[in-house]
Amino acid sequence: MFKAQLPAPRLIARRLYSTRVFSRGYAEPASNKFSRAKPHLNIGTIGHVDHGKTTLTAAITKVLAEKGAAQFTDYSQIDKAPEEKARGITINSAHVEYESETRHYGHIDCPGHADYIKNMITGAAQMDGAIIVVSATDGQMPQTREHLLLARQVGIKKLVVFINKVDMIADKEMLDLVDMEMRDVLATYNFDGENTPIIMGSALAALEGRDPEIGANKILELIKACDEWLEIPPRDLDKPFLLPIEDVFSISGRGTVATGRVERGVINKGDEVEILGLGTKLKSVLTGIEAFHKELDRGEAGDNMGALLRGVKREQLKRGQVIIAPGSMKAVKKFQAQIYVLTKDEGGRYTPFMANYTPQLFIRTADISTRLSWPEGTADAEEKMVMPGDNVEMVCTLHHDVAGEVGSRFTLREGGKTIGTGIITKVLEYA
Amino acid sequence: MFAARRATTAAGSVASRLYSTASSAKPSVKLIAELRKITEGVSLSKAREALAASNNDLQAALKWLDADRAATGAAKVAKLSGRHAGQGLLGVRVLSPGCRPGAAGAVRAAMVELNCETDFVARNELFGKLLSDIAHTAAYLAEPTHGDKFIQSISCDALSEAPLLDHLNPQSSSASPVSVGDAVRDLVTKVGEKVTLRRAVSVARDPFPAQQRHLGLRVFPFVHGSVHVPTNGIKGTLALLALKSHNLPSLVSSEEFQQKLAALERSLGRTIVGFPTTVVRSDSAHAGAEALYDQPSDMFMDKQGSTVQEELRLWSQKHGLVADGAEDGGVEVLEFTKWSVGEQLEDN
Repeated sequence: MFKAQLPAPRLIARRLYSTRVFSRGYAEPASNKFSRAKPHLNIGTIGHVDHGKTTLTAAITKVLAEKGAAQFTDYSQIDKAPEEKARGITINSAHVEYESETRHYGHIDCPGHADYIKNMITGAAQMDGAIIVVSATDGQMPQTREHLLLARQVGIKKLVVFINKVDMIADKEMLDLVDMEMRDVLATYNFDGENTPIIMGSALAALEGRDPEIGANKILELIKACDEWLEIPPRDLDKPFLLPIEDVFSISGRGTVATGRVERGVINKGDEVEILGLGTKLKSVLTGIEAFHKELDRGEAGDNMGALLRGVKREQLKRGQVIIAPGSMKAVKKFQAQIYVLTKDEGGRYTPFMANYTPQLFIRTADISTRLSWPEGTADAEEKMVMPGDNVEMVCTLHHDVAGEVGSRFTLREGGKTIGTGIITKVLEYA
Repeated sequence: MFAARRATTAAGSVASRLYSTASSAKPSVKLIAELRKITEGVSLSKAREALAASNNDLQAALKWLDADRAATGAAKVAKLSGRHAGQGLLGVRVLSPGCRPGAAGAVRAAMVELNCETDFVARNELFGKLLSDIAHTAAYLAEPTHGDKFIQSISCDALSEAPLLDHLNPQSSSASPVSVGDAVRDLVTKVGEKVTLRRAVSVARDPFPAQQRHLGLRVFPFVHGSVHVPTNGIKGTLALLALKSHNLPSLVSSEEFQQKLAALERSLGRTIVGFPTTVVRSDSAHAGAEALYDQPSDMFMDKQGSTVQEELRLWSQKHGLVADGAEDGGVEVLEFTKWSVGEQLEDN
């Protein structure tokens, strides 16, 4: 009888607990969260399984925690990631984070090529820069080139190298050799071999709090190198204005209003804008901004706003077009994209397809049918098959033009379900 | 004079060799770098050890490394044995597809799966080369069978004992044969990951006797998700076709027929791998959804019908295997084995 009663209180307790966490999140937002005032960068660790990626990550959080700039995350917490992977959850980029003097870093572990590509395409994990971890005892390994190729493929231009386990090597000349070899291989894969910072230290020493000259100090040096060498991607607010149109109204006596959520940038009342996409390209002036039921002078990334446009008829505007800072984007008709095709378990197709498959492409608020084909020069293009779960590079030929650029994300849908997600890698034809 | 000089340098090097055995020579960094360039995947500390043990003599160091791999490789394999190798590639190799003009019609092919821990390693050339070599070896060694079952599984232990053949240059490997198992172990020492030969199948049949010239066998592979080598991928199949026609000898010698047959095989391969097929025909144990013959023929290039079964029938008619309306003859799928890298295996 007691047993039967047990689950109920537990359930209630859990419910209470969860509400408490929730409300606490609202009440004291600053307690557990880092300030987002510093510019943010996602940084990944890439390297051989035994070269100490996890140790390095733990060491970074430990050393920075002593300065109050991180929360110490030990091995077991970091290694949570494989478990999540097994459950089908994407690489978790948020569970390790730390701060330097000038920046806020989100730390991503990169367990495999295919996993990372998938996460990059879906936007679940995006590395802006990376630390390549190499053990001083082994030097670069055959798969180091695959690590560098991945970094190249996903658009990382700058890397920092951490040569780990230097305490196992007594000979200074040997360390010079590791350094030389790394610079060589970096250059081979079009990275700046000469200027890439290479830090030599021991992550374990830093984690165990001994030998600061190869431990903690080197970790700080590594972070400093990241601060100075890796480039911050522009923040949404600093990018040119972009408002995808969700809805269009005409308000008598005032004119035509387009509504939507500002994707990036800032706009002021009276600014010139351009309306682009779905066969349209016209200029106008923003004569009014309305958000939160108030007239405003300024709208910015994240705002849901209504834009009053001068001299534009309601019929000229459609959902799927964008309002942008003039000249900041172009409408595209055909582009190459990296596409991840969802598996059946992820809600996608359960059968393969070949070139000329024509799903609906959703990009921001636009919905356009698109034909998929293989990039020019692909061997046996007409016989190539795409299966659910594949990462592929394909060419999308759109039925209507739409505002797009390299890096724009989209989804592919068919019969009401999402079958794929992609990111534009190269524009082939403008409208 | 030249000879004299050579003699002195030779003497000098002998002397220095003798000297440095007494006080272990410091390996030159330049030679370490060179050694690592020659034998890809040798770790820095190993390269250093090798040179130290052989007095900075490159050739001797290479020999030392070979000996050391044999000696310490097993320990490295043992150290990694507890880890999970769930990534990798499968590789196929067809040595004789059957039904070729001029050839006797024997079939010989194999498919193997080699696992490692990360797909970075699976994408590496060393891994791909070894996999192709093992697939070639497995196909080469397959014993011709006679029973109803064409595709036979090979014991990985037995395959590991076999001398490895170079798939690019099969004749070359004679001087010092390395076994498949040793080659796998050597790769472990180079990439530092657990690498295991997971499974292997092969098919080998002698040609039909002359009085059965109207019968033909054909084996074909299909691989999906290749990285660099088109015969290595993450999903794949090895399948067998039977052809029966009174015209077969003349058809087989036609280049056009060969091309059409290859195209049909690719279409079948896509369907087997791309769709959830487990058997050729539906029966009491397997529903139609799993049967190849009941699949839609969406993956066929010159689509004529709507199911695979229909396509095969129409194909036989179109390409002269059967006269219109005749029941006897045609093309059919006999058997296929389909794998996906890292998939869970049924206990058998």
